[in-house]
Amino acid sequence: MGSPIWVLLGTDPAHQTAIVSTDEILKCRNLRKTFGDLVAVDDVSFTITAGETYGLLGPNGAGKTTTISMIAGILARDGGDVSVCDRPHGTSSAWGKRRIGYVPQDLALYPDLSARENLRFFARLYALGRAEARTRIEEVLEVVGLTDRAKDPVKDYSGGMKRRLNIGVGLLHRPPLLILDEPTAGVDPQSRNAILESVAALTGEGVAVLYTTHYMEEAERLCDRIGIIDLGRIRAEGARRELVALVGELDRITLTADGTRPVPELEALPEVREVGVQEGRLDVMVADARSALPRVLAAATEAGLVVRAVEVHEPNLESVFLHLTGKALRD
Amino acid sequence: MIAIAWVNLVRLFRARANIFFVIVFPMVLIMVLGLSFGSGFVPKLGVAGGAGARAGELVAALERTGRMEVVRVGDDAEARELVERGRLAAALIVPEGYEGAMSGRSRVALPLLSRNEPSSLQLGAAVRSVVQQVAMPARAAAYAGDGSFDQRLARAQAVQVPGVTVSYATIGARAGSGSRTDDGFVAAASTQLLLFTFLTSLTGATALIETRRYGVSRRMYATPMPGGRILLGEAAGRVAVALAQGLIIMLGSALIFGVRWGDPLGAAALLLAFSLVGGGAGMLLGAAMRTEQQALSLGLLLGLGLGAIGGAMVPLDLLPATMRQVAHLTPHAWAMDGFAELLGRNGTIATILPQLGVLAGYAAALFALGTWRLRAALTR
Repeated sequence: MGSPIWVLLGTDPAHQTAIVSTDEILKCRNLRKTFGDLVAVDDVSFTITAGETYGLLGPNGAGKTTTISMIAGILARDGGDVSVCDRPHGTSSAWGKRRIGYVPQDLALYPDLSARENLRFFARLYALGRAEARTRIEEVLEVVGLTDRAKDPVKDYSGGMKRRLNIGVGLLHRPPLLILDEPTAGVDPQSRNAILESVAALTGEGVAVLYTTHYMEEAERLCDRIGIIDLGRIRAEGARRELVALVGELDRITLTADGTRPVPELEALPEVREVGVQEGRLDVMVADARSALPRVLAAATEAGLVVRAVEVHEPNLESVFLHLTGKALRD
Repeated sequence: MIAIAWVNLVRLFRARANIFFVIVFPMVLIMVLGLSFGSGFVPKLGVAGGAGARAGELVAALERTGRMEVVRVGDDAEARELVERGRLAAALIVPEGYEGAMSGRSRVALPLLSRNEPSSLQLGAAVRSVVQQVAMPARAAAYAGDGSFDQRLARAQAVQVPGVTVSYATIGARAGSGSRTDDGFVAAASTQLLLFTFLTSLTGATALIETRRYGVSRRMYATPMPGGRILLGEAAGRVAVALAQGLIIMLGSALIFGVRWGDPLGAAALLLAFSLVGGGAGMLLGAAMRTEQQALSLGLLLGLGLGAIGGAMVPLDLLPATMRQVAHLTPHAWAMDGFAELLGRNGTIATILPQLGVLAGYAAALFALGTWRLRAALTR
């Protein structure tokens, strides 16, 4: 399965209005949660706007699930504030919960019920009317590609199908904010790819997504902004490039060419900070390899170099995490 | 809330094994037990020894009960053999000194040989009752003036307490008359109803643990449904399971075996009250246990154990007084009393209010504990 599993929320004008009426869908300020002496979440603040994907990146036990449990209204917080679509939100806020689609890491489904029965059950919990529920269930089944298997018990589904249904339940009531807690855990690469593409499609439709993961690649690929969380605290926040800038490393464009030599045309480019010459290869250090690459190649060609291969190395979030916490992401 | 209760019921009957244990098995047990004590079944009591007049009166009194067929057997050995082979449900040995002891104010023991079966145990209770009735005037005869024992006995039997008149009147139909409830089916159906309703409630508690383990409970808390209503829905689910089991037995036994449950309102109230107790117990078990295996093991132990203590396996009438008091620590015994009132004495909902009150108390306590435990389990 290589294509997105849904293109979603439909064309409900009321829903679209709800999304565009406020740009700031989720706002968390100074969230705090303790379990006895353990401070699980400490002073966590961030916002998510419509159509944005915000990633909470951190190792297991960093406080990601506790944070989103408080945002989803499952867990009472010990301190801080949460607002959803500009309204205060908490464990007893039905208004806010109607605007959040929560997709837990566990497959929170009844395995002995069918996909349709599971969706019907949650539709009733979300207080969807009979007719609306019927329509939405069929729509969700269609977009998650389970219409043909809707009557089969969930226990007979493959892992990927269960994951898709799990996400489908979160979309049932057309929420403007979708919380995905490690949605690709235990999923094969093909299904993972499909889920990531689908999340990207959702944000294209204006849905704000809070995405937790401990996979650096997912966060880099999917998230507009990332909060790096460790030991319950957000250590740094920003777009990938902003985070990488914190480390102070430069991108490296390696050109493999015949007859390498110093190339003044390259060094003259404003983007280029440094050029290293080695046998058969030039290492060009730039701030942003993706934007600089065309001009670097053009300059090298003009200088008469025959470029055989190009390799781009960008400092990744793993380096950032190591820099911020002194440990690797998967420790 | 209804959605949560409904999904519990759907899941109960989705498992094929449950269809057997919830529907087929109780019905088979009712049939087997009902046929054992059923219509036309009169247990045989052997009487060995006792050729005198007093023994003759005892045998006549036993026969007058209509609850047994009295058979004379040769001696103790023959009686024992016939009981062991199952030809007799029990045998009463009248010792040689019985006549003299009765007239001489001395103690005498009448051994009763009985099979270890419910019908034999019930017969034993009836025999003990008759022996007590026969012995009472004989005891009174000791204080009935001078003369021979026969004369004193006659005076004792004729004595009347001044100012007290006991009159008997029969109003309406005899309890259970015209149906098979006056045979063994009613006893079987009411005891199995209590046993299985409670047992299914407890073993069904595994569903509550599964719901938590799957993460569905946490997901429910992320929906707009208030936490209190989620807990209420889970509680309603437990009660729905218990009620379904009870209704299956009640209606099934009425349709298949012709069992009458007495006053419909009273029976319905008693079933509902006991289902609330079962539901509460299931809720507490499901909230307190961490794994399905733990809940299943403890559920079976408690379901069968409390059923046995509470009279759902052996009639309370057959138990000593102390055990009957202990039995009333269980909800089963109170429910049994309620059914005895409804079925044996044409009781109504008004006459079983004490039993309903006690059961409601059990249910309230169990639900309070269960809700507290479940809330803690779901929000930690």
